[in-house]
Order: sequence, then C-alpha cells, then structure tokens
Amino acid sequence: MKITPVDPKTVEVSGLLELVAANTATIRDGIRAALPETCVQLDIDLSQIGFLDSSGLGALLSLHKTLRARQGSVRLINPTQQVLQILELTRLHRVFEIVKNPS
Amino acid sequence: MTQGTPGTSPQSFRASLRLESQCDFDSIRQSTRLIRSFLSERGLQDLELDAWELALAEAGNNAVEHVMPENRNIPIGLDVSCDERDVEVRVTDHTPGFDWPDEVELPDPTDEGGRGLFLIRSLTDEAVYLRARDQNCLVLRKQRSGEVSLAQPTVETLQTRLAEAETALTEMTDELASCYESLTTIFRYSAGFGSSQEILSFSKNLLADLAQVTQADAVVLRIANTGQSQLPATTTAPERFQGMVAPASLLSDTPSFERDAAMNRQDSWFDPDTQLSDQDPLKPLGMALGICHPCVSNDQLVGTITLCRNAPDHPFAAAQLSLLHTFSDFLAIQIVNTRLIEERLRTGVTRRELEIASEIQRTLLPANVPDRPHLTVAASCLSAREVGGDIYDVIPIDSSCLFVLVADVMGKGVPAALFASVLRSTMRSMAHLHRQPGRLLTAVNQLLHDDFSRVDMFATAQAAYVDPSRGTLLVASAGHCPLLLWTPGNATAEAAGDAGLPLGIEQNAVYEATEVPFPPEACALLYTDGLTEARNPQAEFLGQDRLAQWLAETASKSDSARAMQSRLLNQLGVFRSGSRNTDDETAVLVRHLP
Repeated sequence: MKITPVDPKTVEVSGLLELVAANTATIRDGIRAALPETCVQLDIDLSQIGFLDSSGLGALLSLHKTLRARQGSVRLINPTQQVLQILELTRLHRVFEIVKNPS
Repeated sequence: MTQGTPGTSPQSFRASLRLESQCDFDSIRQSTRLIRSFLSERGLQDLELDAWELALAEAGNNAVEHVMPENRNIPIGLDVSCDERDVEVRVTDHTPGFDWPDEVELPDPTDEGGRGLFLIRSLTDEAVYLRARDQNCLVLRKQRSGEVSLAQPTVETLQTRLAEAETALTEMTDELASCYESLTTIFRYSAGFGSSQEILSFSKNLLADLAQVTQADAVVLRIANTGQSQLPATTTAPERFQGMVAPASLLSDTPSFERDAAMNRQDSWFDPDTQLSDQDPLKPLGMALGICHPCVSNDQLVGTITLCRNAPDHPFAAAQLSLLHTFSDFLAIQIVNTRLIEERLRTGVTRRELEIASEIQRTLLPANVPDRPHLTVAASCLSAREVGGDIYDVIPIDSSCLFVLVADVMGKGVPAALFASVLRSTMRSMAHLHRQPGRLLTAVNQLLHDDFSRVDMFATAQAAYVDPSRGTLLVASAGHCPLLLWTPGNATAEAAGDAGLPLGIEQNAVYEATEVPFPPEACALLYTDGLTEARNPQAEFLGQDRLAQWLAETASKSDSARAMQSRLLNQLGVFRSGSRNTDDETAVLVRHLP
C-alpha cells in the first residue's frame, strides 16, 4: 500500500491488494494516521485489489465518515469488477463517489 | 493451517474437499483462496468464483468473530462438495449461534458492519443455519451457472448414479428406523412416569436403553448427593463397569471432566485430542472418546450422564446427543419427583410423631387437679404448637396442703418439651423439699445445671407451698413472672416474692422463699409469661396490671377456682378477639375456701 499526499487537501492511496477481515484494521488506521489535518479529499485506488469483503467495506465507510466530518469525501478510483459487484449488492455505490478513469 | 482431503469419484462428476481452518481471519482467508482454486478447477466461472469466495469469507469471518473463547482452538470446518449442477459448502462454527433471520436486511448505509449475512444470502441460492449445542452448521448451496462441458451420460454413469441413490435411500431408512426406535423408547418412559418407581431400577433400564440407541460402549450415571458435594457412580451400562468407576467429588481438585461438566452446567467432551487426565475417575474404563451431559432441574444439579465409545474415529452424532439430552431430562424429572414424594412422606411421619408427643405431654400434666378441704385448684395449659415448654404440677401434701409448680423452659417445640418433662420429673422426685420451695429450686438448679448448660437451655420456675390451716403461702421464683395474690378487701391483686435467677444459669444460685399471708377467700395465680404477653388485635399486651385487675374482679364474683378460671379464660378470649397465641400459656389458680 502506498499513501501519497498529492497536495495539502488531497491524499491518494494505491497499491491495495486485499481489504479483508485479516488486515482492515491495520490499513484503516494506517491511512487515517497518514491524513494531514488539511486533507478533505481521499482517493483510494482499487484497481489492483484482488478481494474485498464486508469488513473491507466497513473500513471504507469508516474513512468516509472521517472525511465527511471535515466536509470532505472519499473517492474510489477504478474499482475492480468484484469490488463494484459488492458495492452494488450492498447499495453503497451511491454513498461513495466512484471514478472510472481509463488512464 | 488446513488439512485438505480432496476427492473425486471417477465415475461421476462429484468432487469434495474438506478443510479445517484455524480460528483466525488469516487462516480463513487462506481457506477461501484454496476453495476458490478448487472450484475453479471444477470449471466454475469467474463471477461464480467471486461470489463463493465472498460468501465463504463472510461465513468464515463470522465464525471467527463470534467464537466462544474456550472454543478458539477448535478448527472451523469447511466442507465443499461440487457436482455438475450444484455447489454446496458447509461451514461448521463453534459460536453460541444465532437465529437466522427470515428476511436479511441491509443496515443503514453509514453503519460500518452488519452486511455479512446479507451478502451470504444474496450470493447463494440457499442458506440454512443449523444450530446444535456446541457447534452450528451453515449450509450454503448455489446452482452452477451455464453449461458444464460433460458428455451425454453413459449407461455406466447412470448405473452408478442409481447405485448412489440406492445407498442414500438405505441410509435414510436406517436413520428413520433408529429415530422410530428412540421415539418408542421415549414413549415407554412417558407411560411409566406416573407410577412410582424405584430410582435405581428406573435408571438402570434407562441407561441400558440409552446405550443401545446411541450405540455407546459405556454409559455412566452419577446422581449428586443431597449436599451437592459428591457425584458417586450411581449405575453404569453395561453394569460390569460400575466397580471400575470411582466417585467424583464436586469439592476436591482431582481432575474430572464429569465434575467440570457439572460445575459449568455445560456438556464436556474428551477425545484423542483432548484426553482424560490420568487421575480422572473415568480413566479406568479405557474409552477413546466421550461426552458428559449435566442433568439439571430448576437450577439444581441432579447428576451427570456420560456416553463413551471405544473407537476413536467414531464420534457421537448430533441426533445421538439429542437423545442423551432427552433421556437426561426424563431422568432428572423422575429423580426430582421421587424426592418430592419421599419428602412429603417424611413430613407426614414427623407430623404424626409430633401428635404423639403432644399426647404424651398432655398425659404428663395432672389429669385431675386435687381439691383439698379448704383449697380449690384449677389449671390450664395451652401450647402454641403441638408440644410446648410450659409445665405445671399440683401435688397434695398431708391432708390439707398443696405444692404448686409452674415452669417455662426456654424455647418452644420438641426440645423445650423434652426438657420440660425432665424438669417436672425432677421436681416431683424431691418430695422432701415440697414444703420448702426455695430449697427445692436451689437443689433442682444444682442437679440440672450441667444438663441445661450442655444443651444451652434454661428455664424459669415458680414453686409455692400453700398451707390453709396456717393461712400462709410460701413462694420461691427462679426468674419467673411473679405470683399474683389477691386477698379480700383489695381492689387489685399484688405480685408476691422475689424473682431470682432462672434455672440453669448459675450452678450455686441460692433461691429464697417468701412467706405471704393466704387468708380464707384469698387466691393466688401462678402463670407463665405467655399469658401476660397475649396480644389483642391492636397488638397491645395483656400485661400484669390488667391480669391483676381481672383476678381481683373475678375473685369477688366467683367462689371456686374452676369458675374463676373459666371467667378469666373467657375474658382472655374477648381481649384477644381471634389473634392466635404465639407462646405457651399456662395458669394455675388456687383459692382458699373458708
């Protein structure tokens, strides 16, 4: 996992391979700790993710709440088919901003 | 983390995989990956594989998250079976279990958790949650999508399938037969329920039947003693094992898995992985595995039943455990019922014995109080219970005198009554001192002091010697309420004599008698404090003053002691207006006739 501050307001997370019960707590807390106070935009790149379960969803929602508390938001970048499937199944695709960026 | 046993039968397409995952998220993750690749090899498509991987991750994570702490080292079972039409996975967890909801709904979008069941339900065609006592099983099924590339079934394949179906049918028939057998047995016990049976023979039959229907090699029944401290081996099936099984103690530290089951009120197991301690009372049976079920009724431990088997690879099935529980419930009810019946019988016997004691005590009191030429006497004794600690005695001396005694042994009921009888006999036996009540009390106290001390009792007593020819009354008291004396011309009666220490307190106590005038028409009332402590409905005591007043009034209206006494008792009844006497009430009335 790579956490990159793009500018004072934006942080980008990439290289996530799995977001499952075994690692969600570590990843969630790692990202949260890396957020500068000024950050209001968290972009999570989900293009490489192999598997995400409901606790992974929980971690995304938790980060979403953190950003909402400071009037910000979480964007999910290029989620894989499996991630899209679970987001739609649980109707959370309306909660997150999902960005499909061909580049 | 896992032991895989994949297998395919060559003739058909059915394949199965059995995994045992350790109870942590990492191991579950590895298992779901293995299952994914197993299903992938069976030709499932990516979308189906995604669905199964997610559904199993959710089921497995739940099993980890909610496991009971003591079961954390028991693996989670994942049994996969796949043929050309369906995939079925059974996830066996060791959590307390939960009620699978009829409708699984999504939580609020902001909630971070609570989507697992929804996902499982959405990703499978059928999800059934089977709950048992120590483990639960989630059965997930999903039809395979698309066409499976399998050639038209050959005659051989069809024959194999037919053979498989036949085997399955035979197994089902066997299971049904065993269910029927169990039901019949249970009905038989229901029928025998009302009839009073001896517990031991009932238990023996029950154990023999239980061994048969559960195919157990040994069954051990322990019934807890009434003190709830011991679990003796009450009986076994087969009976030859009984001598080999030592009692288990609920108090000692000797390891016993039956004791653990009893203390925790939970089924306990042993098997080749969790073996019995060498000191375990069951060890001598040499069994490979077993389960112990505590019988509990109304939160009270009744005992334990343990099923054992020789073969280590042949554990008890869920249906057999249900039978154990059912039989145990039956036995617990039967034991509790029998104990209740015995208790009722015992209470009945005790009541009868009390009636006899009461009868004996009544006959010990003088039946006819002797009148003397110039003395009339009346006595009454009313016990608060069947037997009491009050006594009185009236003994004629010479041709005209009387010795009168009233005593009250501390306490009520049988112990007081027993001691009262001893006291009366001792007083009676000292005839030479009846004319000297002070010396009598001194001697009796000295004689009985040790006996009184031994049983931690004491008594108050009042003794009087009445001599009408001299017109005197000698009275001595051992801590007793004072004798009331009325002499003609007085508006009320007066207390006479000194109180002194009760009997049984001080071995060397000296009791002095007081001589008071007892002219013609005078009367004396000796009584116990139950009388002055009688209460009216307003909870007021009768009191000594009111009693003295009544005595004076009654003396001016009646002559004979008996007539006076019935008036006094009437008055007492009116005063009490129905409140029950709570203490023994005794009164002896002596009147000097001119």
